[in-house]
Amino acid sequence: MNRRLLNASVLAAGAALALTACGSDSSGGGSASGDGVTTIKLVAADYGSNGQNPSQAYWDGVIGAFEQANPKIKVDVQVINWNDISTKLSTMVQNKQYPDVVEGPGYASFAQSGLLYTADQVLDPAVQANLIPSLAKAGDQGGAAYGIPFVSSSRAFLINNALWQKAKLPMNGNQAVAPKTWADVESDAKALKAAGVEVPLGLPLGSEEAQAESFMWEMNNGGGYVDASGKWAINSPANIATFKQLGTWVNEGLTEKDPGSVKRTDLYADFASGKVGMLNGMPIQLQDVQKSNLDVTWAPLPTAQTGQTPQTLGVGDWIYGFKAGGHASQVKAFLDFAFQKQWQVKFDEEYDLLPVTQDAVTQVSKDVPALVPFLKALPAARFVPVSNPAWDTVNAQVKVQIGGALKDPQGVLTTLQTAATQAGQ
Amino acid sequence: MSQQTTSAEPVPTPPLPPRRGAKAASAPRPTAAGGRNSLARLGPLPWIGPSIVLILLVVVWPVAEMVITSTHRINGLGIDFGFNGVGRYTKLFDDPRLGSVMLWTVLWTVLVVGFTMVISLALAQLYNQNFPGRRVTRWALIIPWAASVIVTSIGFRWMLDEVAGMLNRLMLDLGLIPSAQNWTGDAAHAKPWLVFVAVFVSLPFTTYTLLAGLQSVPAEVYEAARVDGASTWQTYFRITLPLLRPSFLVALVINLINVFNSFPVIWGMTQGGPNTDTSTSTVFMYILGQTDVGESAAMSVVNFAVVIVMVLLFLRVSRWNEES
Repeated sequence: MNRRLLNASVLAAGAALALTACGSDSSGGGSASGDGVTTIKLVAADYGSNGQNPSQAYWDGVIGAFEQANPKIKVDVQVINWNDISTKLSTMVQNKQYPDVVEGPGYASFAQSGLLYTADQVLDPAVQANLIPSLAKAGDQGGAAYGIPFVSSSRAFLINNALWQKAKLPMNGNQAVAPKTWADVESDAKALKAAGVEVPLGLPLGSEEAQAESFMWEMNNGGGYVDASGKWAINSPANIATFKQLGTWVNEGLTEKDPGSVKRTDLYADFASGKVGMLNGMPIQLQDVQKSNLDVTWAPLPTAQTGQTPQTLGVGDWIYGFKAGGHASQVKAFLDFAFQKQWQVKFDEEYDLLPVTQDAVTQVSKDVPALVPFLKALPAARFVPVSNPAWDTVNAQVKVQIGGALKDPQGVLTTLQTAATQAGQ
Repeated sequence: MSQQTTSAEPVPTPPLPPRRGAKAASAPRPTAAGGRNSLARLGPLPWIGPSIVLILLVVVWPVAEMVITSTHRINGLGIDFGFNGVGRYTKLFDDPRLGSVMLWTVLWTVLVVGFTMVISLALAQLYNQNFPGRRVTRWALIIPWAASVIVTSIGFRWMLDEVAGMLNRLMLDLGLIPSAQNWTGDAAHAKPWLVFVAVFVSLPFTTYTLLAGLQSVPAEVYEAARVDGASTWQTYFRITLPLLRPSFLVALVINLINVFNSFPVIWGMTQGGPNTDTSTSTVFMYILGQTDVGESAAMSVVNFAVVIVMVLLFLRVSRWNEES
């Protein structure tokens, strides 16, 4: 009996050690081998959903063609799920096992720490000139471009026409007459609720994408994360007013319960199953909508007051080169190759995302008419402050905490403002 | 104690690689008179060596890394800004969320382990009886254990979902609630459900440990009790429970550590949210890691210290058990 106890305590002690210790895995960067062939390492995010259309297949195609054209360069690609890529990437950086090229999350902190090549070093001027200016500009930090936009998207208001008709709300032909102001949103949501719609207005302020969802409401009330001079303004009066308004709608039952815990993808699924009246949508939903045979209306985002110009959110995913491997010319060859029109178009049409090069925009507009409104919105779209090196930290904090601002706008937004001004301390 | 150390079972060792084997064969054989003692003392080394190396590699090294990381300022993207002393600890202890996180961690551990132990005692007693269908029910009990915890958690999250969840459907149809609830949407609703799911996944292991303990109680003891005219409850409290103490303690400690460190149940159901309202210290550590790896490591060190204290307490308790 005693021996069993001793063994158990040894086991327990071992378990305690093993259970609290953190695991990590890592992989090294590229290298040059003796035969003059240089291998570069590419880490890319996976845009596929549910194991369908994995991005690995896309990159295998690009790389196969690239290696054929450039026999002296090999590309090792590691495709990582969007949920994990930031963590994996931070582990690589922490262990100083830098990849050569990264496609996916933000670049600002890496750039500030001097880890990245500038766009001039790894991208042909002709390709740079081909980029959509508003997107290219978001890749600037301190006057130099580090982040190169690789793929983008913009947002629009999305309405379920069937529910709209059920609530006897006005239609214009086969399209819903979309709310233009927040007052319209409120009266429409009330009508939807009265007609028994489970979620009249979808408001996914859970940690998945809360920073973008809240930004869209803030910007249409004259707010945002930073003021005109680029200083943090998270607790600006406009933002507080925005969250007061959203909080009122939550309390009146016009949204789902507890939006602070609701993930965007879950709410999109609810929309696809016909349970959500309206929400801030994005082109990625086009496929879902089509699959579930929904009749929908896409419209500009509603504004707080009448007469304001509707603003929308632009999202860019970035590609950038790490200096550590010293493979500037190989990275340049690869990026110049990957930004060719055919590859851009292939990627965007696969995932219903928007291109970042002008020739690809022309092509996609022709091929996929449904994307045209989003493409048109892109040049004027506003971005979260991606070039600010503190943004990565602020972003993570906003995602977790901003849902709480529905109940306590002043307190939560002030906490986030304080955290933002101190970020990186 | 000395009895135990001398009679301790040999540590299971993987078969030795051939190169080592050659050295091992020569080691126990004393050649020179002077080296006899020290060489003989090294005798067991080839057998326990691999285990030591394994422990150093997978346990001690990560712990050292963790402590070193906690003294550095490293942002959420892994960029190391250098040595920061106790700066990350100061930041952690100044964090207004830490107090409520630690309080909930204690409450969580006590509630989950408490319910688990009590329910498991009853279940073990039940499964120790002979009744038709016992084999099937014993198998059924394994299911929550066999299923991955994260799968169970996600399953429960969807059952509790506001729009798609079946609990809402059921309760609405029965007229128990006026409108659909988001059962994992705020801390007040989510916490009882988190505890429920954690107990649900802890029951099988605990019940089986206790059942094994119950089966090791000799039948003669019960016979003697019956002859002496002890009542059912007397038998249970005077005989079953004391004889069950060793397996009870093992189950208790393993559960304490497991539940304290539990990540998948909370992460799968609420991701520690909304905000950090349902985060235990382990989940909080993970959330901190997204913005400040150093602070997250500091949280790990604190967690680690708590577990060490728990283990020491257990050793105390087990010695007390021995003396009585």
